[in-house]
Amino acid sequence: MNFTDWQEQQHVTQFLHHEARLLDEHRWAEWMDLFTPDGLYWMPLVRGQTDHLDHASLFCDDALLRSMRVRRLSQVRAYSQQPATRTSHVIGNIALESRAADGCIVYSTFHLLEWRKDAQRAFGGSVLHTLQREGDSFRIRMKRVDLLNCEAPHEALEVFM
Amino acid sequence: MQNQTDIAVERQVQQEVRFYPTAHAQKNAAPHTLVQADRVHKSVYTDPEIFELEMDRVFGQAWLYVGHESQVPNTGDYFTTRLGREPVVMLRHSDGAVHVLYNRCPHKGAKIVPDGSGSAGKFLRCLYHGWTFKCDGSLLAVPLRSGYEDTAMDLKDRENGVRKVARVATYRGFVFASLAADGPDLPEFLGGVATSLDNFCDRAPDGEVEVAGGVQRVIQRNNWKIFFENLHDTIHAVATHESSWRAAKEEFESMPEGTQKPFEIVIVDGNGEPLEFWEKLELKGYDGGHGYMEGIFTPPKDPVSLAYVASLEARQGAARADEILRVNRHNTIVYPSCSPHTSFQQIRVIRPLSVDRTLVEIFTFRLKGAPDATFRRALKYTNVINSPSSTVMPDDLEAYNRVQEGLGSDGGDWVSLHRAAGREEALPGGRASNGNSEMPMRNMFRAWAGYMATEPTKHGLLKDAA
Repeated sequence: MNFTDWQEQQHVTQFLHHEARLLDEHRWAEWMDLFTPDGLYWMPLVRGQTDHLDHASLFCDDALLRSMRVRRLSQVRAYSQQPATRTSHVIGNIALESRAADGCIVYSTFHLLEWRKDAQRAFGGSVLHTLQREGDSFRIRMKRVDLLNCEAPHEALEVFM
Repeated sequence: MQNQTDIAVERQVQQEVRFYPTAHAQKNAAPHTLVQADRVHKSVYTDPEIFELEMDRVFGQAWLYVGHESQVPNTGDYFTTRLGREPVVMLRHSDGAVHVLYNRCPHKGAKIVPDGSGSAGKFLRCLYHGWTFKCDGSLLAVPLRSGYEDTAMDLKDRENGVRKVARVATYRGFVFASLAADGPDLPEFLGGVATSLDNFCDRAPDGEVEVAGGVQRVIQRNNWKIFFENLHDTIHAVATHESSWRAAKEEFESMPEGTQKPFEIVIVDGNGEPLEFWEKLELKGYDGGHGYMEGIFTPPKDPVSLAYVASLEARQGAARADEILRVNRHNTIVYPSCSPHTSFQQIRVIRPLSVDRTLVEIFTFRLKGAPDATFRRALKYTNVINSPSSTVMPDDLEAYNRVQEGLGSDGGDWVSLHRAAGREEALPGGRASNGNSEMPMRNMFRAWAGYMATEPTKHGLLKDAA
């Protein structure tokens, strides 16, 4: 399935690019505002995982946990954020996955470089955004990040991808 | 039980493992002299040669946690892991028994089963020349069998099958193995912490648990002992975890008056308790380096908790349920391989990779017979506290890594374990202290020194290394 409406494609693309930029610039409050109140940020632990209630995840942050994470990142004594994690997202292959009355599900891929302290890590994978239309823009009901190496052992993952 | 074949995991671990050539190092330095009653020499954390000796003497002798029987429910199911340096596989045989074998073909040495977990089918088949084995490791068939007639290779001899790990024993479904032929049996080894494994299972209405919901894996840049010591280091929490407990407290303060404190906040803001709180906690240390710490969370009286308690009472009766739930413990240490958390059904398996790198694997368990919501709560604890994305653990990892790096400096030779030294109360097979004592660290090093002073032999009694 793909976009048939050029304008819609523009809106979605700009929304995803904007979201990536908010993350890279640590504009956490603005980023959290992109979600619906019941929105979920989810990173499955295994490939093809269908459920986040009966299976552990790499991230499974609802509004409360997103807010707690953001509050922590901004604490003076967040020792593991001395220095703070830096990221750079590249978003691509944006495609329409499915459509509903009030929104759509959008597929994209990402490459992400992350730097902290003495190590640069590379992450990549695909994302499914379940978007709810709000005027010319959207709210996120679910952001599902399928990390290529989700099953691998990881050092701490502190920031949203 | 999910059967993910997570080859990627072990692949990465293997890249991480860096064993240093030692050529029988330290034979004359007697590493156990680096441990004193109330301090240890920094080299026990930083010296690659000592790490190699630990692989031989600590991980080569102790009972090590392999996994849980529920991970291999059917004949041919396997789960691979590593015991110290040794790649092993836990397998369910056709007679129902669980075996732990070296993952090595007796023919040319190839690892027979791939890394990860899955099902091998009715028998094992080596990819290299097609030798086949039963799931207990005994030889089933070889191609060109006639080629072995009248040679020194007796195919009927069990010795020519897949080698078994020296000793395997199970305690209430938890599978342990020892690479050494001699030593205490498993119950004797576990001593006072067997009660934690009992309580782990007793909390299930059906009296049994099973691994479920996947395995999380975290790489730490520190020596494995630093992690173990932190498990019962009560006074680090208020300092190290200030960012997360403060965030949790602020979050709760932002909620409307009268809101019931959410579980996610309870399990994070508890680290902000003052030192007097930790002081009152009971700490037990047992011979062998084991121990446990009293629980820091009073079970919340919310619908999830109440439904769970009701399910336990329905099966076990109110009196027995009360007796089970009174055993409220935070981390238990089963030295040197794992740490069960009985009240949130987690077991963390500690796998040293090198002197300064450690892999921690987090397994979550389902209490058989308990409501789904109980398991989901355990997973929430896993996700919030122990997962790679935990908001609590990164500050731990930062502390461990700064310790590891600091100990490599010439700024001091010894690490202090003095707090409340000499104020322990003797127990049968162990000792008790108040919650702020460094007794658990002293207790672990006592065991460590004992292991390091002996040299295991795979066939025969332990003999002194001198």
